[in-house]
Amino acid sequence: MKLVAATVYALRIPFVESFSHSATDRRWSDSVVVRVRDDAGTEGYGEGAPRPYVTGETVETMLDLLARELWPGVAEREVPTLDDFGALTAFLPEIRLAGAIAPHASRAALELAVLDCALRRAGRPLASMLPPRRPRVIYSGVVTAGSVARAVEHARQMRAIGLQHIKVKVGFDDDVARVAAVREAIGPDASLRLDANGAWRFDRAVAVLAAVERFGVAAVEQPLPRGPAEELARLRRAVAVPLMVDESLVTRADAAALIEAGAVDFVNVRISKCGGLAHSLAIAELAGKAGVGVQLGSQVGETAILSAAGRHLAAALPSTAFVEGSFGTLLLAEDVSVESVRFGHRGEAPLLTGPGLGICVVEERLRRRAVAVRELTTGG
Amino acid sequence: MGNGHETLRSTIEKHFARQVESLTMCAEFQALESGRATPDQYDAFIENVARAHLRSPQLLAFLYALAPPAAAADLRHNLLEELGLAAESDRPHPDLLRDLLAGAGLGGRLEALEGQSDADLRRIVVDPLLYGTLREVGLGALTEIVAFEYMLSRVSGRIARALGTHRGIPAPALEWFTHHSAVDVRHAEQGLDDLEAYVRYYDLTDDEALTIVELTLRENVFARRYFRDFVAPSAAEGRR
Repeated sequence: MKLVAATVYALRIPFVESFSHSATDRRWSDSVVVRVRDDAGTEGYGEGAPRPYVTGETVETMLDLLARELWPGVAEREVPTLDDFGALTAFLPEIRLAGAIAPHASRAALELAVLDCALRRAGRPLASMLPPRRPRVIYSGVVTAGSVARAVEHARQMRAIGLQHIKVKVGFDDDVARVAAVREAIGPDASLRLDANGAWRFDRAVAVLAAVERFGVAAVEQPLPRGPAEELARLRRAVAVPLMVDESLVTRADAAALIEAGAVDFVNVRISKCGGLAHSLAIAELAGKAGVGVQLGSQVGETAILSAAGRHLAAALPSTAFVEGSFGTLLLAEDVSVESVRFGHRGEAPLLTGPGLGICVVEERLRRRAVAVRELTTGG
Repeated sequence: MGNGHETLRSTIEKHFARQVESLTMCAEFQALESGRATPDQYDAFIENVARAHLRSPQLLAFLYALAPPAAAADLRHNLLEELGLAAESDRPHPDLLRDLLAGAGLGGRLEALEGQSDADLRRIVVDPLLYGTLREVGLGALTEIVAFEYMLSRVSGRIARALGTHRGIPAPALEWFTHHSAVDVRHAEQGLDDLEAYVRYYDLTDDEALTIVELTLRENVFARRYFRDFVAPSAAEGRR
């Protein structure tokens, strides 16, 4: 099996409502989707979500890297039999991007596309490589930033849906009032996490976390900006709320350093951020061995493609403390697959059993929602 | 509800009014009304209206099945009207939408739009349910139907004028809009009563009901249906 053509779509799918946190405000999905085709006409889809403040990538760098380095590295080469992720990792070129931490969204998009294509060609579901350990996945909700009143409204909506795990965006002047209001809105039984997206300085983090501890906070995500692991370790010693890293964790080396420094209670593994399924698995394994909890996170505005990959990974990991994603048309005005990947009541979602990623992507929707489409062939 | 003097009905009506204002203030609607929209944008709008409402009889039939006794007569009447079997409307409303498409020279799009409407309906059925029981699902559906009646009673006359003036659609083909302009004032009033009756009959608290209303409407349910590329305003603008 050889890959003979690829198409790259830079999407712009409006959100049903805007979503914001301390680092950015999003009103549409800007994912980049890759479609590859093999010599038998089998197609596969992958997706990456560029985040300048996380991996250092933009839509433009993704389009450029995919066309200039990643696609030429796999085109017309024999795709190995995918018995494990090692073969896939070896097949994909390792690339760098000047000024970026790692071009992981680009890599993830291509990895997923190749995987989807190869598994479809073989008539195998991704579950054949990632055997599920549980019959369903249970997702968390995320309360957007904005006014406290809006956060409370969102929290109530999540309670109405029956979500059992809820995360609230913090990093503003009214953090303590915000957390108190959300806790009141969701009641005492749902688990509550915070996500500061690196907005706090050390002293502010200590002060807020001390003040909100009484509201029963299961974890705080990325309290400080990405920086030395020792600083997070110092914060971890200073507060009682468990710490989770997100923006600080992009590479496996990041994970090793953070664990070594005793800086984390949880890691937030995200497929796009971490460079695909193989890298995500490796980081989760490292965390698991160290007794560090794993959250499988998602990208705000991800389409069904990343959500499907996330569903498989969430079902297969030995243990996940929390799982995010699969918002589908709760957030997107339109998703790209025939099947809905959106979670249902209580955040529950079934496993995907079809070949490849287990969804059927509607190419017409990609084309209609794309602001840029690049056709890549073996001729370059 | 934030104010002890507000009733559930008045609070829901305020939500609807805000949504109508959001629609009429959005750039897409203003372009349509002022004549600044392109011919393609007028056509897309007409197609989206048809897609949104071609299968309304089925939704009303579903709601009639769930109707509490106090609202059953209203919902049955609305259903019969949609089907062209009531005194005020001697033609099925989907036929009026077909007239609109034909009057706009878009009759050739009917089959595709019916397919999209069917797919929209199918998705409602096959998507995982967000709520634990049918009473919440029904409240969400009733909210959406009444919200559209409320909006159409206030805005459809303006839309008809805009389409007549700037898109050159003849008056007979605009009957779907003019009919709703005249009839939906009463429907919307009844609908608000029916919503309250539904909430009481199925023992939802006011907070539970309002949460479902908000979740159904989100930032602008009308713009999302009528302008498929509508981008919601920034949440950051509302931050403290």
